[in-house]
Amino acid sequence: MPTDTKRLRGPEESQSPMLFLPPDAQILKASSRDGSRGHADVRPIFARCGLVSQAKGSAYLEAGNTKIICSVYGPRETERKDETDMKSGRLLCDFRLAPFSCLKRGAWIQGNEERDLSVALIESLQPGVCLHRYPRSQIEINVVVLENDGSILAHAVTCASIALADAGIEMYDVVLGCTLRQDGDTCLVDPTFAEESGNWLGGYGENQGRVTVALLPNFNQVSGLHADGEMREDTLTEAVRTCMDGCHKLYPVVQHALLRAVKRKAPPSVK
Amino acid sequence: MAADMRLPTAGEQISSSSLSLLDGKHLVVPGDVITSDTGFMRGHGTYMDEEKLTASVAGEVERVNKLICVRPLKTRFNGEVGDVVVGRITEVQQKRWKVETNSRLDSVLLLSSVNLPGGELRRRSAEDELSMRDYLQEGDLISAEVQSVFADGALSLHTRSLKYGKLGQGVLVLVSPSLVKRQKTHFHNLPCGASIILGSNGYIWLYPTPGQQDEEAGGYYTSMEPVPLSDREVISRLRNCLLVLAAHKILLYDTSVLYCFESSLSHQIKDILKPEVMDEIVMKTRQRLMEQEG
Amino acid sequence: MASVQVSEAEKVYIMHGVRDDLRVDGRGCEDYRHMVIETDVVSNTDGSAKVSLGHSDILVGVKAEIGKPRALVPDEGYLEFFVDCSANATPEFEGRGGEELGIDLSNTLYKVFNNKHSIDLRSLCICPGEHCWVLYVDVLLLQCDGNLFDAISIAIKAALFNTRIPKVHISEDAEGGKEIELSDDPYDCVRLNVENVPCIVTLCKVGQRHVVDATLQEKACSVASLLLAVTHKGMVTCVRKMGGGSLDPESISEMTETGKRVGKALHAPLMDLLKKEEGLGKNRQKVGFLR
Repeated sequence: MPTDTKRLRGPEESQSPMLFLPPDAQILKASSRDGSRGHADVRPIFARCGLVSQAKGSAYLEAGNTKIICSVYGPRETERKDETDMKSGRLLCDFRLAPFSCLKRGAWIQGNEERDLSVALIESLQPGVCLHRYPRSQIEINVVVLENDGSILAHAVTCASIALADAGIEMYDVVLGCTLRQDGDTCLVDPTFAEESGNWLGGYGENQGRVTVALLPNFNQVSGLHADGEMREDTLTEAVRTCMDGCHKLYPVVQHALLRAVKRKAPPSVK
Repeated sequence: MAADMRLPTAGEQISSSSLSLLDGKHLVVPGDVITSDTGFMRGHGTYMDEEKLTASVAGEVERVNKLICVRPLKTRFNGEVGDVVVGRITEVQQKRWKVETNSRLDSVLLLSSVNLPGGELRRRSAEDELSMRDYLQEGDLISAEVQSVFADGALSLHTRSLKYGKLGQGVLVLVSPSLVKRQKTHFHNLPCGASIILGSNGYIWLYPTPGQQDEEAGGYYTSMEPVPLSDREVISRLRNCLLVLAAHKILLYDTSVLYCFESSLSHQIKDILKPEVMDEIVMKTRQRLMEQEG
Repeated sequence: MASVQVSEAEKVYIMHGVRDDLRVDGRGCEDYRHMVIETDVVSNTDGSAKVSLGHSDILVGVKAEIGKPRALVPDEGYLEFFVDCSANATPEFEGRGGEELGIDLSNTLYKVFNNKHSIDLRSLCICPGEHCWVLYVDVLLLQCDGNLFDAISIAIKAALFNTRIPKVHISEDAEGGKEIELSDDPYDCVRLNVENVPCIVTLCKVGQRHVVDATLQEKACSVASLLLAVTHKGMVTCVRKMGGGSLDPESISEMTETGKRVGKALHAPLMDLLKKEEGLGKNRQKVGFLR
């Protein structure tokens, strides 16, 4: 296990005080959501391009308390010569959860969960990018989650595709992501962190699960699908449909954010 | 939907009957002294250790007059001029293609040793050099003949005959090169309805028997028309038969393949590879081969 | 992952074959290659199994150790997965070559078992908040010939079935201190209930149809595949789209439907086989790695 010697670290074993909360404080209340939000409603998102000036393209996305920054570098020649593909480019991804992003403090070095999210992100974005246009090159996508309030993979997908578009990378379509939390017969679209983990930990109920879908809205093609938990097949199919609807709801916001970025970059018309 | 699960069966002990078949053979392992008589010449697979001729590979001793060689039974392909091979393009270079042929080193196919569309006597121009990838690109399969062997053992191939060239739709089966019997011809149109190229390098190509060929294409045109289901069935069956024969170390040539094909007809194609079915088919095939020989 | 080169014409041949429901090796679209399963192959483990599917060879060893329960779930034990892609399987795995695939495989396994029913984790608890069993599931790839996920999941199920955890007794002394005592009778052990352990089914989209148990050649023809972990009741515990392509919603629902049907049907023959093997008792001739 590699340890990070450059930073002052806390004691070997420390625990978050959250653990000592009474157990019922964590139980998911499926019946009510914050404010006037219904079960099938996504949180309103806020997206902007171009906040990292050094990067080729970048985006910032906020959905409720989930806040994500993504920057894109490249395309440039691949570093690892042995993996150079003569016919198409490669996407590389570095997905980080900032140590303070979750309730429990995380480590600075990339953990297993983050690696898994990186792979999932690449698989979801790849169908949307015209990689054959960039032979022998690599495109780097760096994602940092500043605050994790649920559905990070889905929002990271959306955020990364905005950043890719902002970087001028050729794409067939933008990629949108949406997560759903299935709890028995109710499903919560775009869950918050509390809803996401919720009584999954305590409950032994049926049909508990989490589904994340990435969608190419104009082709109506699913480019990414990740689910865990335990669900019936029909629930799963239904959940995928619900997620797709959720994705479509995000589309106008994403479109607007990109248009705005293009307008800002365009030279003022002469007339 | 079918999932066939089973417990493993222990590999059968070499029976005394099959051992007796090996009686006449002189088998050695590396380090075995073959002879301490100095009157012999040292061949492949041997070395001299203090006047004693010693084996350097495991295999069978072969004596030709005064020359002693050891032929390894499991080996990569050692090509000789005139061998028919099947290979896969791994790289397109200046004026040449690199071809994977199961040899120690990659083989070479020079642009000057292929027939280009437009007849044999066409001159190679700079344009041809630029469009090499249009004829053959990475991953493509070819059939070819060994033209010469370089000093380091690499093979130079040629396809200057209409029977050689790029391979179209079909199935490649890989077996050990020592299982392919050397014959007059390695191209066969089998009467069961498919064709086979038995590459001496252990790469075997199964394909639907072609109709009339267009000479102008020079063997570099491939049809992407769907192959009819009946042809497919024959090819799949042949593929599995080849694997069965290879698993039981039976020499591959047109007759053995055909007999095996016929013995397998009572079984479904996907069942052929089950161990017990394999044994049955091999037994029948062996019997017929013995009858034919004897 | 270990990959093979396939020419365009070969791809066309394979794709048309899948369309006609006759694959290159004579199988239909929903047929598995035949599978050879043996348990109890490594004596130093608490449970082990070896599975060969075609030429894919997987060895799984389960070791039980006593650890501290996770803070969030003090009354449960847990499982740890590790997949090793040794260079024995293919030279591509040499050095760090297999690392990426290994992490990918083990992360997927964590997701497959990320639910309450696959294994009763509470049965692994020895003393809430203090001691629990940790099952280390180590997977070794001996040969790669496509469809690793399915073979690994079957090998894990067989190895867990074979696992025997020694019984422990907790004795309390006068001052309230607890002491763990391991039973020294080797036959005094606990077994796991593996009924709900899911099997993974990977469906590869080839042309317009999808196939199960794809060979490396077929995999090269497909741009996207869907992985489903299915229990014997037909519950889905993990879904993942893999590969660089996308799928349309109709084919996803078709594939989930097929995956559920195929996955559900895998369990019965597997359990029958495992019970049959066990029935042979100690005198069973072990085959191990010699075949």
